[in-house]
Amino acid sequence: MSEALETGTPSFIDRFPQEASVVRASLISSFIALFLGAIFGLIQALHRTDVFRFLDSQYYYTVLTAHGVLMVVSFTIFFLVGVFTWATVRSLDRPLVDIRYTWAWYGLMAIGTLMAVVAILGGFVPSSDISADVLFTFYAPMQAHPLFYGGLAIFIIGTWLAGADWFRAWYAWKQDNPDERIPLQTFMVLTTMLMWYIATIGVAVAVVVFLLPWSLGLLDSVNPLLTRTLFWFWGHPVVYFWLMPAYMLWYTVLPSISGGRLFSDPLARVVFVLFLLLSTPVGIHHQYVDPGIAEGFKMIAMTNTMFLLLPSLLTAFTVVASMEHGARQRGGSGLFGWLRALPWRNPAFTGMALAGLMFAAGGFSGMVNAGMNINYLIHNTIWVPGHFHLTVGTAVALTFMASTYWLWPQITNKPIFSRPIALTQVVLWFVGMALMSNAMHVMGLFGVPRRTAEPQYQGFDFVASFGSITELRLQLALGGTLLFLSTILFVSNIALSTGTPRMSGLGKQLSEPLSPAADSPKVLDNLTLWFGIAMVLVVLAYILPLASIITDSGIVDPGVEAVPMVVDAANGLVSISAVSDAASRVVAAIVGVVP
Amino acid sequence: MNIHNYEKVWLMAAILLIVGFISTVTYGATAVGVDMISDDGGTVNASALDEDPRFSEPRVEQVGENEYEAYVIAQQFIFRPDPITVPANSTVTFFVTSPDVIHGFEIVGTNANAMVVPGQVTELTVEFNEPGEYGLLCHEYCGAGHHTMEGSVVVQPQDEFTQGGDE
Amino acid sequence: MGEEQVVREIGHDEYDPKGTLALIGVYFVILLVMWVFMYFVEFLGNELTVV
Repeated sequence: MSEALETGTPSFIDRFPQEASVVRASLISSFIALFLGAIFGLIQALHRTDVFRFLDSQYYYTVLTAHGVLMVVSFTIFFLVGVFTWATVRSLDRPLVDIRYTWAWYGLMAIGTLMAVVAILGGFVPSSDISADVLFTFYAPMQAHPLFYGGLAIFIIGTWLAGADWFRAWYAWKQDNPDERIPLQTFMVLTTMLMWYIATIGVAVAVVVFLLPWSLGLLDSVNPLLTRTLFWFWGHPVVYFWLMPAYMLWYTVLPSISGGRLFSDPLARVVFVLFLLLSTPVGIHHQYVDPGIAEGFKMIAMTNTMFLLLPSLLTAFTVVASMEHGARQRGGSGLFGWLRALPWRNPAFTGMALAGLMFAAGGFSGMVNAGMNINYLIHNTIWVPGHFHLTVGTAVALTFMASTYWLWPQITNKPIFSRPIALTQVVLWFVGMALMSNAMHVMGLFGVPRRTAEPQYQGFDFVASFGSITELRLQLALGGTLLFLSTILFVSNIALSTGTPRMSGLGKQLSEPLSPAADSPKVLDNLTLWFGIAMVLVVLAYILPLASIITDSGIVDPGVEAVPMVVDAANGLVSISAVSDAASRVVAAIVGVVP
Repeated sequence: MNIHNYEKVWLMAAILLIVGFISTVTYGATAVGVDMISDDGGTVNASALDEDPRFSEPRVEQVGENEYEAYVIAQQFIFRPDPITVPANSTVTFFVTSPDVIHGFEIVGTNANAMVVPGQVTELTVEFNEPGEYGLLCHEYCGAGHHTMEGSVVVQPQDEFTQGGDE
Repeated sequence: MGEEQVVREIGHDEYDPKGTLALIGVYFVILLVMWVFMYFVEFLGNELTVV
């Protein structure tokens, strides 16, 4: 990308250098998490398929916990706070109220992540009692070290403060612009954060009221079904916390990159309001085959979940229509021929387009997951990771990476090091994910479980009704390897971009929507109203199931004992030398594989 | 609010799809009769399973003509009883619980798929037809030995079952 | 980069996203077929009915 782009528009870092620093820091934290998470992901892909194992299988679960937390807590959410800071400041066209406050919430998030990651990595050190081999879902009565729960809590508090920062910026803007519609990007940021405040109630209560005190010995027992239900209260809407920044990029950046304009601002607002209303009162769809929850509550969750498909289905239309507009403005014609006129050589475009395409498939497997009784077919099989690697793993992750190619020059005044590598990277991700996720979906249908270090059993074989299990395992391993290579390409390209020469003229304008905000009823901007309705829906969905769990098995269940998840010395690895042994085998493996 | 006609068409189609999905699931629940696991199993004292008449001795018991109950314990890292033996052409209600952590209960290659939560009893009724053998596995991470946690469900011809007895 | 190569401006009133309608129509059919297959063949056709 050495051609000078000379719109002469000042870039984001020119106009808002302090905010640009925070955005950069957030993105860098995000990519460090992605890189570490990817290493662990590769280890898993090779281990569970029995292609290459160098760790004792009990460490698989330490790896899996790290992979989950780094990817879906650190990578995604650090990216969100970076891109939301950019979007708010850019769309309001004013700086944040107090940059020290901004750095403070970023600092909390960083500290929280470090605490949790240290706790998790402690699982590799058998002589230490710090560990958190509990997976991303940390279901009680499996118990992690308090550092883990404390880290998560501090991280979440950081995100709450971040939301307040953006609300403050908006209030300040509102004093100066009392009759204006909320700029679209800011609208999306605020509705997402309102959704988050509601969603985090569940996990905050689970962690702060129950699990953290319990891990410190202040509470004798917890009720595992209660804490699990509180987890999933948050566990579903968190996926929208991942998705909504990606949607924001599809709605507000992708049309411009396509050479066109957003098809409809009003519909974009409607979609985000729908997410605010419906993201949380659905969490019980993760508990369709749980005991202790009546079928009626599961039915309500199912219906709410099916309607939650609507904003995503609407997004598909609006986003594609915006791309088509760009294609036709670029001279494309015909019923399908216009697709060729799109800027496929732009990695930011291609990455986002491929991410959207993959989401269409991921959306379908999500529809199956939502189908209450059909859940018997795939619950806790590897179909489920197949699904979420398409959604958070591609729709979100690939969009984040692709949009970085567009955003990074504007927050650094430095062009991306290599466009061909960027383009290769996004395509490689798509191909790797197609292979891996397809294998996961199919194996799931044959009953192969998720979250298992060695899904090869003694007493029975999985029966493949088409293809073969061996083929599918190799496909999964291959896909995972390609994804790892793609991650390396991404991280190196960005790292090398810090060394490119500073330029001017890298600023980018965003085009105006075809159908502007003024075309929509003002009530859409009434955030208090939508927040209120969202709270009511959540209370309706959860008050009875929670009350019923508490009445039936107590707010704590003294019959259930804590099970600290510390690597058991008796299971074979008793000394640090075993760990350094494993570490040197990792190094040997990497050196051996990468010539 | 100005919505383009084409998007209105899609909105209708999307709603139709959603209603279609809900209807299919409802059909499955009613006409086909697929029940979801619920709170019917009740609760139990996870530390005192040996005092519970069902779980002190995990087993399969006949409760009616072609009707059986299977009391199963899922624990780190086995299922009890192992194997779970049931007769062909029967309806078996499983009652499953755990004395330690959350486990999964998956009869491999089938729709019998459930979570097992300490303090709760999972009740799951399944119709068995021909004789055969199924693998049983735990699909919820339950500790360092999770991947070794397997069992089996053996469906015996009626006469063999009555003679061999249940374990 | 690519996005500057706009050869004509298309305004709000002149734009009908026909290609989008066609593509989303194809998607709709795929969803329908896949759902019917997954529910009636894979799920209801699977062993052991839970009642």
